[in-house]
Amino acid sequence: MSVTSTLTSVNPRTTDARDSRPAGAGPALRRGILRAPVYLLLAVTSVLAVVPFLWMVVASTHPTSELFGTPLPVLPGGELWANLARLQESVNFSQVMLNSLGIAVIYTVFSSIVSIMCGYGLATYRFRGRGILLGVVLVTMMIPMQVLLVPLFQMMASAGWIDSYQAVILPFLANAFGIFLMRQGFLDFPVSLIEAARIDGASEFRTFYRIVLPVARPQIAALVIYTFISQWNAFIWPLLMLNTEDRYTVPVALNTMIGMSRVDYSGLMLGSLLATLPLMLLFLVFQKQFVSGLLGGAVKG
Amino acid sequence: MRSRTLLLPAASLAAAALLAGCAMGGGSSAAPVVLDPDAKVSDEITVWSWDVAATALERLGAEFEADHPGTTVNVVDVGYDNAYDKLSVGLQAGSGLPDVVTIETDRAPGYINEFPAGFVDLTPVLGDAEADFDPFKWSAQSDADGALKVAPWDSGTVGLFFRSDYFVDAGIDPAAIETWDDVVSAGETIKQTTGHTLLSLDVATGAGFQMLLQQQGQGLFDDEGDITITSPEAVEALTLLQTMNEKGLLKNVKGWDGRVTSAKDGDSAVTPEAVWWIGTLLGDAPELSGTYGVTELPAFEIGGVRTSNSGGSGLAVPAQAENPQLAAAFVEYALADADRQASMMEHEGLFPSYLPALQGDYFHEPQEYFGGQPVYELFAEQTANIPPITFTTDNAEASDIVANAVVAAVLNGADPESALQDAAEQIATATGREIAGE
Repeated sequence: MSVTSTLTSVNPRTTDARDSRPAGAGPALRRGILRAPVYLLLAVTSVLAVVPFLWMVVASTHPTSELFGTPLPVLPGGELWANLARLQESVNFSQVMLNSLGIAVIYTVFSSIVSIMCGYGLATYRFRGRGILLGVVLVTMMIPMQVLLVPLFQMMASAGWIDSYQAVILPFLANAFGIFLMRQGFLDFPVSLIEAARIDGASEFRTFYRIVLPVARPQIAALVIYTFISQWNAFIWPLLMLNTEDRYTVPVALNTMIGMSRVDYSGLMLGSLLATLPLMLLFLVFQKQFVSGLLGGAVKG
Repeated sequence: MRSRTLLLPAASLAAAALLAGCAMGGGSSAAPVVLDPDAKVSDEITVWSWDVAATALERLGAEFEADHPGTTVNVVDVGYDNAYDKLSVGLQAGSGLPDVVTIETDRAPGYINEFPAGFVDLTPVLGDAEADFDPFKWSAQSDADGALKVAPWDSGTVGLFFRSDYFVDAGIDPAAIETWDDVVSAGETIKQTTGHTLLSLDVATGAGFQMLLQQQGQGLFDDEGDITITSPEAVEALTLLQTMNEKGLLKNVKGWDGRVTSAKDGDSAVTPEAVWWIGTLLGDAPELSGTYGVTELPAFEIGGVRTSNSGGSGLAVPAQAENPQLAAAFVEYALADADRQASMMEHEGLFPSYLPALQGDYFHEPQEYFGGQPVYELFAEQTANIPPITFTTDNAEASDIVANAVVAAVLNGADPESALQDAAEQIATATGREIAGE
């Protein structure tokens, strides 16, 4: 800090041209002081965000009986393997993770295809009833899930699909929010690119596949992450549809660890911790695209 | 303007779908299932349960299959916390439910009232055994016409758990405790000598007020469906809770986890709770082994009832079951049999509501955790004494209003009598029922 302040006081204008005040205590120092509350606030918020996660790690390495009472453990204990074994034994966790992964991946792939194509169509083609069609899509977003549960359940029951994966995946493949997100993105897509491709004689599908998709990668990354997370965390619908323990998804299986007179918190914490790993991995892989996707959206406004 | 014409058919389609949904939701268009107690059973059933209850049914399911060749019993652990979401949607939709479901005693009256045609009448199969079951369970799990809809399974017989080490330190003989007044004065001595609070309750959810009410043979409503919470018994129960708080004997905790934590921290010198609390203590507070004892729930006056009910569950056969005959046969096999009910106590800790089962040797065995006291004996003796009470369709709504009255009296110092009077008037307005005795 002292080094920078002496350096800047030699020639303050080079460090911050916007600071019109004369060099006194050193603008960088002053700026540091001014920003201190901001950093403090950021530090506090980071701690608030990280502590629950740390607690999850700590809790998953202790027996449940140690998680009640005071003082609470702050350091990891030695029960990780015992908890893992119990988690595997009581809910067949490895199988359940595979189920969740399978469902989430299949759902993400197909739902993204639907969203991208619908969004593209609604944004770039002009056809009669386009506005109404978009309106209908948006209206479905406004119907609360609770209203849909019983009728949708009856549809699945009469199709004989209860306790099957297609019943978990199919009803929500056409995702209104995803379609809307893609449509908004494609609205700002440079039309000249599409026109150029048409002039060069590319078919509609080729234009879409070769020209549009590569350019739209950031927004697709955002869509993929959003879609995957929403399916990965989905609880009430898989709970209603799946009736066999070996077909449960992670949230449904973890829920069965809450008992009548006992709650297996360490198992729950470990399960939740393991359940966040695929999300983190997904985020790491798509991070670059995701951030630019967010920024892209912000700039376009 | 053209666009309007497009929207209209869409809207009418949606409306038609909604109507169709309602029509189907009504369910029960077919004649109600009537069980034949002598029918020969075969084929397959699926059973929904949770936690240790599922473990127990799985074990008994295998025995049932061996005793009844040609049958298959599939038990699914659907989880306890959200099993009711599945049950409610299935009942509403009229499809998707298995042959047997587990329902807690507290929830049973609500489901029975809301879905009068939702469950099979089990009386033809179990009716002969009525006298052998905990009378409270039987009445709470039957409909207004006396048809048994949810077969009684495990009981929530209440006793008073106490920290024997605190009682020794304070020089109090737990056997001398007979009334709630005795408990309050014991609590004061314990607080003075050991510094521990007498008991921990979650005031926001009603602080066990309804348990104290049931101990005196009262529900929130009487047999005529009138509101009873302005009775002298109710005022006495609420005054008791208020007194304990004013004397600093009560620790207000939040939810289930708060109560477990409080027990481990030693902030509960006594815990009035059902027999299943033993499972919680053994599992979550093993280090307190040897420090606990159990006595009967203190009475409101000498000679009064010394138990109540908290929790417990039962088995029901939905009307939409594919194989109700086999389902009912399995329910009878598992629940109306002394040896099997006793085995569920021994292996899974489910305390029987089938009274003959309570004669078994297991209930007389000394329990190490309780310093060698044969605690189950006490619960076994008290199970038949649980006072039956009346439930109505409005119990859930009334419970919330009563919980608010408990908060007002215990935490905010309102006069118990006027707090209950206010609550009774609120319930009367909300439900259109009358207040008893007015």
